[in-house]
Amino acid sequence: MLNKSKISSRQFMILTTFFTFGSAILTVPSGIVALAQQDAWIAALIGLAIGIVLIGMYILLAKQHPNKSLVEMMDVLMGKWLGRLIALLFVVSYFLLGPCAVLSILGNFLTTQMMPETPMVSLNILITAVVIMGGYLGIEVLARSSELIIPWGALLFFAFIVLVSFDIKPLNLQPVLENGIAPLGPAVLSFLGTVFLPNIILLMIIPHVNNEDNEAGRALLIGSIIGCVVMIIIIIMTIMVFGPGFTARSMYPTYSLARKISIGNFLQRIEAIIATIWFISLYFRVTIYVYVLSVALAQIFNLKDYRPLLMPLGMLLVVLSQFIYPNIPYEQESDARTWVPFTIIFGLFLPLLLLCLRGFRNMNKN
Amino acid sequence: MIRSTEKGMGMMIRRASAIVLILAMIMPLAGCWSRKELNQLAIAVGAGIDKKGDHYRLSIQVVDPGEVASKNGGANRAAATLFTAEAETVFEAARKMSRVAPRKIYFSHLRMFVIDEILAKEGIGPVLDFLSRDHEFRTDFYIVVTRDSTAEDVLKIMTPLEDIPANKLYFSLESSEKNWSPSLTVTLDELIQDMTLKGKQPVLTGLKITGDKKVGKTKRNIENIETYSKLQYSGLAVFKADKLIGWLNDTQSKGYNYIRGLVQSSVGHVPCENGGGNVVTEIIRTKTDMKGLIQKGQPLIKISVYIEGNVAEVSCSDLDLNKESSIFEIEKRDEESIKGFMLSAIKKTQEDFKVDTFGFGEAIRRTHPAFWKTIKEDWEERYFPELPVHITVDFKIRRLGTVNNSFLKDMEE
Repeated sequence: MLNKSKISSRQFMILTTFFTFGSAILTVPSGIVALAQQDAWIAALIGLAIGIVLIGMYILLAKQHPNKSLVEMMDVLMGKWLGRLIALLFVVSYFLLGPCAVLSILGNFLTTQMMPETPMVSLNILITAVVIMGGYLGIEVLARSSELIIPWGALLFFAFIVLVSFDIKPLNLQPVLENGIAPLGPAVLSFLGTVFLPNIILLMIIPHVNNEDNEAGRALLIGSIIGCVVMIIIIIMTIMVFGPGFTARSMYPTYSLARKISIGNFLQRIEAIIATIWFISLYFRVTIYVYVLSVALAQIFNLKDYRPLLMPLGMLLVVLSQFIYPNIPYEQESDARTWVPFTIIFGLFLPLLLLCLRGFRNMNKN
Repeated sequence: MIRSTEKGMGMMIRRASAIVLILAMIMPLAGCWSRKELNQLAIAVGAGIDKKGDHYRLSIQVVDPGEVASKNGGANRAAATLFTAEAETVFEAARKMSRVAPRKIYFSHLRMFVIDEILAKEGIGPVLDFLSRDHEFRTDFYIVVTRDSTAEDVLKIMTPLEDIPANKLYFSLESSEKNWSPSLTVTLDELIQDMTLKGKQPVLTGLKITGDKKVGKTKRNIENIETYSKLQYSGLAVFKADKLIGWLNDTQSKGYNYIRGLVQSSVGHVPCENGGGNVVTEIIRTKTDMKGLIQKGQPLIKISVYIEGNVAEVSCSDLDLNKESSIFEIEKRDEESIKGFMLSAIKKTQEDFKVDTFGFGEAIRRTHPAFWKTIKEDWEERYFPELPVHITVDFKIRRLGTVNNSFLKDMEE
């Protein structure tokens, strides 16, 4: 191993939670409601059920190869050249569609809703500086800081939900299954694509987790479930407050939801404070991506340390986040058409392939 | 010796570069790229839109902060001022306003958005898109339609008690919805939702100017105890998608709010049994349940209203409030009267407007989505005008106030 740093399973769980609802908190409600209208929450629940199976598969994979990261697993199972080639493909494409996309989403959000006159690049440079710092300090520091921040995140989230629940209209959830079950299919896929499938990259962190009683897998599962439940609550809230039509048309329904808070003409206009939730979660999502991808690169090229890679990756990140999405319709198109099949290839087919290869090996041995 | 000075130099360079770094980091920390200082903004509290030919005329009521903050009456200026601009689109008009306004208009504190009646008849859709797209607009302001006057005129009327007229409109609409009930607060997201649903058409509260408009625009209006001109909410404007097609009067508006279950508190009266006087009841809470049903292949709406009230005023000389039977009698007649409001609202919309303002279609969609799909297209032409609506009102009188029988009963003629 390059790096002997260890984190506890609890820290890993918190990191997983942040990673799971990371960018989904901004993008998913609008997209999934556009696909499934008022039944979006049912789609999310189905997504949760399928997601648990998916995570189960990742855990199985991790158990078969203790103390090995995803890249090392590919190395072992597919051979040095093929394994590293696929790993490289994995890293490059995930870098483009992962952290670059997330940073661009965050930058677009800030320039649309909060600071329209600030150039996106200056915001992205500031965020990337902190991201690189996080990556440089390593997984231990990242995990500890997530542990410090989670109580505040949870407090804000509960305050958000309680304050906004004064505006709910439960009738907006009816009729249930108006258009049957068929339209739920694409909605479930898009939900899985953002909330569960990218969690495959957490297999790069799993070797760092203290795994004396096999608790790393459980942490991964529980963290993903918590993140997913957060998403389901937010989806239900946006539908109940705004109705499916407004939610689907809205660019950032979660932010609109926070804007809606007004208790007695007194406790109001606190959306910028509520937005802290997704600043934190998006930060962790980008940082985990950047950390994992640089570690993966280091492992592919047999480097002693991943740290020298961070700076160039960060520069690429800032530049690419500027034009990875030339405009908003392109982003929405890409979220709907490109991202989902992409994550299915790497989040479902790749681990399935690895499991099969392992199975063949075992058969050959016997 | 040399080594130690080298060490000292190194320390100094380190320290100097740390200071430079700290100074450099202060700049992004302040985050003042898009900063807008309070004294550079004109805070819009009211906005109104009229149509002049093919141009929109946007009027913005802006707070005069110096006048609001000053304690001893200020410099005898109005607390708000009005800017207007005309352009082919709303956003252009808003920006064009910089030619007359000394500061940039800031919309996040908007309280009232007033739409002109004539514009409303042509369609408000094009205007609303800007409101929902621009990031400065929130969704917490109320939207109303003027009656017999332009939006610009409405925003020019001086108001007593509340210095800023838009605030007066805001609070008066809120309290009128809460305590009297023929008016109704509608926010942008609710309006847009209603405009896009097939089985529920939007309504907006009407706003009119009473009295002498000309004096109303001057400071003289608020110098007397009785103001010359007032802003008054009146009736509900019925829309078909985004076009105004008619008005409900106050009684029908009340009925409308009972049907929608929006009445929080209200007051109603019924005449005494033997004539000469009224029994007034104050309604303290209500609950409406609307159900869409299918009967013999035809849609049907069932509305049940539960109302709780207290006796508030009695001017009958022969009513014995000590008897439970007389309470039952009042309850029964109150039920009749409220049912009457509701039926008259339904009759008016079914016969004259033929648009589903009540959300009956939505009620059917909620309970019978498959059936709704088959009748959706003909809903307004075929089904809604003949839709049977069954109303049951359950009125419960709980308390009598601080006295039981009125002294009127014992008064010697």
